[in-house]
Amino acid sequence: MSARRIYFVVSILVLAALPWLIATPYWRGILVLCAMNVLLALSLNLVIGYTGQLNLGQSAFFGIGAYVSTILVKSYGWNFWLAAVAAVGAAGLLGLALAAFAVRLRGHYLAIASLGFAVITYQVLVNWENVTQGVRGIYGIMPPFSHPAALFYLVAGIAVLVYVLIDNLVRSPVGDSLRAIREDEVSAASLGINRALWKAFAFCVGAAIAGLAGCFYPGFVGTLVPDAFNIVESFTMMAMVIVGGMGTMIGPVLGAIVLTFLPELLRGFGELRLMIYGIALTLVVLFMPGGMVQAWMALRARLR
Amino acid sequence: MKLALKGAILAFVCATFAVQAQEKVIRVGVLMPISGPGSYFGVMGKEGIDLALEQLKGGVNGYHLQVQYEDSACSPLQATNAVKRVLDQFRPHIVIGEECSDASLAIAPILEQAKVPQLNAGSVTMKLTESGYRYVFRIFPNAAQQSLPLAKVAYDRLGARTAVILYEKTNAGNDNADGFEKPFVAMGGKVLAKIDFGRDVNDFTAIATRIASLGRVDVLPTFALEGQQVRLAQALAQAKVVRGGGGNAVQMGSIWLPYGFDQKAGQAAEGYVRIVQFDPNEKRRIVQDFIRAFRAKYGADKVPTHINSHAYDTILLIAEAVRRGATDSESIRERFSGFKGVEVTTGRISFDPKGQNSDLSVVHFVETQKDLSWKGLDW
Repeated sequence: MSARRIYFVVSILVLAALPWLIATPYWRGILVLCAMNVLLALSLNLVIGYTGQLNLGQSAFFGIGAYVSTILVKSYGWNFWLAAVAAVGAAGLLGLALAAFAVRLRGHYLAIASLGFAVITYQVLVNWENVTQGVRGIYGIMPPFSHPAALFYLVAGIAVLVYVLIDNLVRSPVGDSLRAIREDEVSAASLGINRALWKAFAFCVGAAIAGLAGCFYPGFVGTLVPDAFNIVESFTMMAMVIVGGMGTMIGPVLGAIVLTFLPELLRGFGELRLMIYGIALTLVVLFMPGGMVQAWMALRARLR
Repeated sequence: MKLALKGAILAFVCATFAVQAQEKVIRVGVLMPISGPGSYFGVMGKEGIDLALEQLKGGVNGYHLQVQYEDSACSPLQATNAVKRVLDQFRPHIVIGEECSDASLAIAPILEQAKVPQLNAGSVTMKLTESGYRYVFRIFPNAAQQSLPLAKVAYDRLGARTAVILYEKTNAGNDNADGFEKPFVAMGGKVLAKIDFGRDVNDFTAIATRIASLGRVDVLPTFALEGQQVRLAQALAQAKVVRGGGGNAVQMGSIWLPYGFDQKAGQAAEGYVRIVQFDPNEKRRIVQDFIRAFRAKYGADKVPTHINSHAYDTILLIAEAVRRGATDSESIRERFSGFKGVEVTTGRISFDPKGQNSDLSVVHFVETQKDLSWKGLDW
């Protein structure tokens, strides 16, 4: 058995044991949130980390997944799973719509366009009151499983599945194409790689995964208001990817875990909490630009 | 000698256990925005609660009040996490908070399920006490209780026939705006425009210019947090719309605005008419005692705001429930349900069957004068 497989099996065992080791509803809730953030970080990493497309609009797809699934369940009486499939489809399609513009743009221009997309989506959620209830919000939303441990197993199980799928994807020739586009689009095109096709593919898959994470958010919080999907959320997702290690598989997972648990662990510091959190983030970016993965590799090289 | 020493140790251990067994505590979880745009609520709220706790240091009926603060940031997600944490780790008998309506609505079902009373002192959304929760109690006047008197005063006392409603696009802002519009229009008034804005808006020049172009506007009911109200008042004065800038329109506000707004807005606040529940000029003894104690603790130049006093009152009410025999969550809920005319700094508290304070006897109107002081209006 290879080391990778051993790590993977150990990780699964740890995941299975976590809800039993952490018995309080609060920390079990944080575990669910963490699994959701892992999904979001993985989705953004595919676009930014592997394809090199600076997308600042990921919160929009998260919100689309949350709203589409909730509205279908609450207003039209759909089954949660059917609604989730529709929500993932809707987020993926809108990801394609953004990709239609994104394939023509690069760097800062793409960042601004995707930021604009996030702002437009947020404004639609706020102002399309007949459908979304606007700022009045949607309340009394039930999760697919009421027990936090069951909800954690569900979301974490999906996160593991998504991880495996993306891991296989980036190891395949498709992953080589995505990385080639990331490194140099013109060179990639000269090798016969269809830039537009693969960029659109990355946007679509990334958006669909973010939409999938969005399906679990409303049931977890019990409340759905547009403010949960403002552009600050996009930056939080990006921080997870950068802190963990962009363009690696394990990096965004570590980033999501650290940035979910750190603010909660710092609650004991009261008013100093956000200051410590901000300083910690700044130090990571300053001294570990490649994130935790790079820091680990540097440490391992030094130890050898 | 050894025997005596062992005896002394045994006696000490027994005494320690006996004291621990007798120590009775009411645990109070406090959820407030300590970060974000509503953080001033948290800072002022903590001042009021700390003062009340200091005054109740000796305990009530043999019970000590023990408080744990959590930052809920005016956000449903943060508030949900904070309330779960406080329920898990602190096991409170009652929770005070949140200030913002969205966050208050998010924690209400969680506390209802945990059968822990929620004592709210800052949210106005109607839904909080209209959703059938048995464990929700609110001492802050709801949107209808604030906006209806504003509409009546605008029409009857100020003779206003036209209005432009300005409000932040939140549950609280929407409910207040609707609460003004419906009765004002029913009385015969005309709403020329309803202008909403997000909490991230900082420049109100465009909105003020638009209002200046609408023709004669008599009143401008405004529902937003203090920071935006200051900038809005200044922009309206600059556009010569309101009296503070030489215009004719009267800007009107709700209890949201803390004392001290006028000094921050400067001359733009002149002529501002608003509804208040806590008035530092009020002569009731409990109010003046509170102001004295507040100044002694926080500085002679400080004047408490309604946020300080509402937070202070929440602790007084919990103490009153304990004084009446409450020992746990359920008995606190029962005592609250029976409150009729309990006097606190923000008036008298009588909870109706939905948990809303129905006694508005001290709610009144004030007008900001040229020297930025308040003149109580006999309305």
